[in-house]
Amino acid sequence: MTEQSGGSVETAVRPRAAVLAERFPIHRVALVAVAVLVTFGVVTGSWKTIAQGGVSGAGWRTFVVLGIDQGSIYALIALGYSLVYGILLMINFAHGEVFMSGAFASYFVAQSLDSKGLLTRDPIPSLVLLFLTAILVSMSVAILLERVAYRPLRNAPRLVPLITAIGASLFLQYTFSGFFGSDAKGYPSVKALEGTIDVGGFPVSRTQALTIIAAIAMMIGLSLFIARTRTGKAMRAVAEDKEIASLMGININRVVVTTFAIGGVLAGVAGVLFALTFSEVDSFMGFVPGIKAFTAAVLGGIGSVSGAAIGGLILGVAESIGPVLLLTGIHVPATNQLRDVVAFTILVLVLVFRPGGILGTGEPDKA
Amino acid sequence: MIGSELLRRAVRAGLIGGVAIVYLALVGMVEKFEARHLVSDWLNLGKLLLALPPLLAGYLATRPRVESGQLVRPARGPAVTAGLVSGVLTGGVAALWLAFVHLFPPGAVRNIFIAVSPKLLDIMTFGRGLAVGVVLWVVVGAGLGALGAAYRTLPERAGRPLSVGLATTLMLALLQRIIPPLLYNLNLDSTWLYSTSFGGLTPVGAVVVFVVATALPALWMVRGQAVRQRVTQLPPARRRVFDVSRLLLLAVVLAVVPRLLGSALSEVLGEIGVYLLMGLGLNIVVGYAGLLDLGYVAFFATGAYLTALFTGAHLVTSLGAVASPSFILHLDFYPAVPLVILLAAFVGLLIGAPVLRLRGDYLAIVTLGFGEIARVLLTSSWLQKFTGGPQGLRDITDAHIGGVGFRDPQPFYYLVLAFCALAVFVSVRLADSRVGRAWSAMREDELAAEAMGISTVKYKLLAFAMGAAVGCLSGTLFAVQIGSLTPDSFTILVSITALAIVVVGGMGSIRGVLVGTVLLIGLPGVLDEFEEYRLLVYGAALIVVMVLRPQGLIPNIRRMRELQEEEVAQDQWLKEEAPAVTVGGGGAS
Repeated sequence: MTEQSGGSVETAVRPRAAVLAERFPIHRVALVAVAVLVTFGVVTGSWKTIAQGGVSGAGWRTFVVLGIDQGSIYALIALGYSLVYGILLMINFAHGEVFMSGAFASYFVAQSLDSKGLLTRDPIPSLVLLFLTAILVSMSVAILLERVAYRPLRNAPRLVPLITAIGASLFLQYTFSGFFGSDAKGYPSVKALEGTIDVGGFPVSRTQALTIIAAIAMMIGLSLFIARTRTGKAMRAVAEDKEIASLMGININRVVVTTFAIGGVLAGVAGVLFALTFSEVDSFMGFVPGIKAFTAAVLGGIGSVSGAAIGGLILGVAESIGPVLLLTGIHVPATNQLRDVVAFTILVLVLVFRPGGILGTGEPDKA
Repeated sequence: MIGSELLRRAVRAGLIGGVAIVYLALVGMVEKFEARHLVSDWLNLGKLLLALPPLLAGYLATRPRVESGQLVRPARGPAVTAGLVSGVLTGGVAALWLAFVHLFPPGAVRNIFIAVSPKLLDIMTFGRGLAVGVVLWVVVGAGLGALGAAYRTLPERAGRPLSVGLATTLMLALLQRIIPPLLYNLNLDSTWLYSTSFGGLTPVGAVVVFVVATALPALWMVRGQAVRQRVTQLPPARRRVFDVSRLLLLAVVLAVVPRLLGSALSEVLGEIGVYLLMGLGLNIVVGYAGLLDLGYVAFFATGAYLTALFTGAHLVTSLGAVASPSFILHLDFYPAVPLVILLAAFVGLLIGAPVLRLRGDYLAIVTLGFGEIARVLLTSSWLQKFTGGPQGLRDITDAHIGGVGFRDPQPFYYLVLAFCALAVFVSVRLADSRVGRAWSAMREDELAAEAMGISTVKYKLLAFAMGAAVGCLSGTLFAVQIGSLTPDSFTILVSITALAIVVVGGMGSIRGVLVGTVLLIGLPGVLDEFEEYRLLVYGAALIVVMVLRPQGLIPNIRRMRELQEEEVAQDQWLKEEAPAVTVGGGGAS
């Protein structure tokens, strides 16, 4: 920004190389080069794949449903990042572990319900119990996290809480593996959720249907909460301006705790849905979904509910379809291994090109 | 008798201490550490771990408090009472938990919390059954809490030597695998100091060490000022001789260390060296330039894989045959190193260029993304022709001088030492150079630095390139050391370990990085029990250091002022809230 306005005045006196360097600073050249490369890769890759026609229509439809299913879970986790970021302008790096803790806690309940046969006999009360357990545990972990690791550093330089968040993430992972064992635990399957339904030609498994419906319901609930309730109004005020809000008599600490609690509730729900989908929990399961959800939050525009939903969906579908669409055509073997690369590349590209998100203004600095 | 405020804090500290004990038991540390004897069979690490929470609870409950701008210390009587209260509560919580666990049939708790074994319960009840155990917890807890509080009320000239003495004794007890072979190689008798049957210090040895280590600092507190003054007042020529001889002494000690320690411990030294290089590299990026890089493992991997590909290595194809990678050179190690450095610096630029305009926390996440991309690519079948995929590369050509290879721990130590010396030299010179000053200006205030004519683009890129160049050396050495690479060695945990080293030691401080590496890498290296809890402890250390001592153990002076300034520069209207925030923060620790 500054280069442009300063450069035009003195151009006549400067040597040409200097003028060129000023008009095209190295980082901008690098950005354009990256953009061109990426666009080229995406276009040629997809064109070749489609031209070769190696994947059937039904195959694509399965990928899309899978993507939406994953995306719903990402969206739920993303909301936790988004809400906290909106209020404290900090990345709660340990949010993935909040999600993990809920899934893990519900595992023990699910196991004992399963051993008594209740999971098959009374699926609905059992599922409700699973969700409640996960919500309770995730919420407590989130609140504890805020109290111990973040609140003492509310006024510290910005990188300081990020470092404690990384520490908290590691700490929670290894606490859980120390408490409950580091091996992956098989999550009991729910009979009522087996089978597939056909929705307009798209094959949707019942677990996927539950995931998508639950995610939509949670998001509508959250939107209403933020828009209609007194607490929601306080949250919006604090996100707008912490200092003024506190002058208006809003208890900042209470709003922050509420925000973390809501993030925990959503993460808990996401945890159970994730565990039901993949039938497995372990203490390190939160890390990668956490980063991807953060990507989704930034993708949609961090700080907004609809943004997290849209970002989650785009990311889910992109990482489900992306590797096949872009890489099969150019003969890259075992494209599913590169799922995470697609997600992380999206993360890098979004942060570099549109740090404000798709819905945002493109302005990186909110603070 | 004691003020309500003090009582409140004592209760709080006591309860937190109790939770800490239950945590340590549940996470499995107590049982694991029980096997490590510190002083004969009188004291082991597990018991020490159990004794720490009540001690700390008493100590922290009686922290001096800021009251209307003045530091208020509790008097001895109320302080000890408060310590007693917090100790009783700590012991009480532990006892309650024990009683609670005993309500369930044996094994029922263990189905969920795997650490709750009969042996753990035996340890926690001191082998005397529940009833006696509960009483002991409360009584011993009270005693320890009072002790912790009483320690607080000691005058500094007694307290300081005492803590040095205790710390030294503990350190020597923990170094039980290092010091006996050292003494043996020096032809000294160690049986009076270290117990041969248990591994820890002998009671006599412990007492001797404690007395000596307490007396020396006490003496230094009396006479130290005079000695220091004499050194500073030496004429410049003599001063130089003093400095040089100090450096020479250090060099000699460093040179003979692996001979004295033997092969197994030299391996630990080698590992410390590899991480030291990584820490020094990350210190340039995070400590000097203030750019939080969470994908530092990318440079570690770059250094390792490039070294392998430049000096020669094999891979296993998907059919199981041993083959050469599609790109391979057979350079000598020494010409390969500068090439690797150059390429790594270039990778640093490549990663740095697109993220220059990002704010600090986004930068951290983007670099984290790069680190993960690097790992996934290394594992993928796509690049298997070059990287060997999940099986990685093996038979990496060893570096050597005159026919002596470096793969053995002892020669490897010297190679690492040379590289570390180089990296330390570069770091020191950079810190005091124009570049270093530009970095610190940029770190403190980017806008102001730009206004002063510092090209932040240039210096950020330079920081990335320099950090990558130094960090890749650790990868190079890693490849030489183990001779085979798999992607498993290049996870995000490497980045976080490097970050923990820099943060715990003190960002921007070379001595800090050194101390951080020795603590975080060396301690788990010599004590196997720590290995399992290494990352747990790193995580906790990151939180504790940032909350209690953000400048790190051995702070960089300038950096410390910055961090304190932030505290001072809080908005005026927050002033009333500020003390509450600090108190809350301390209590949570």
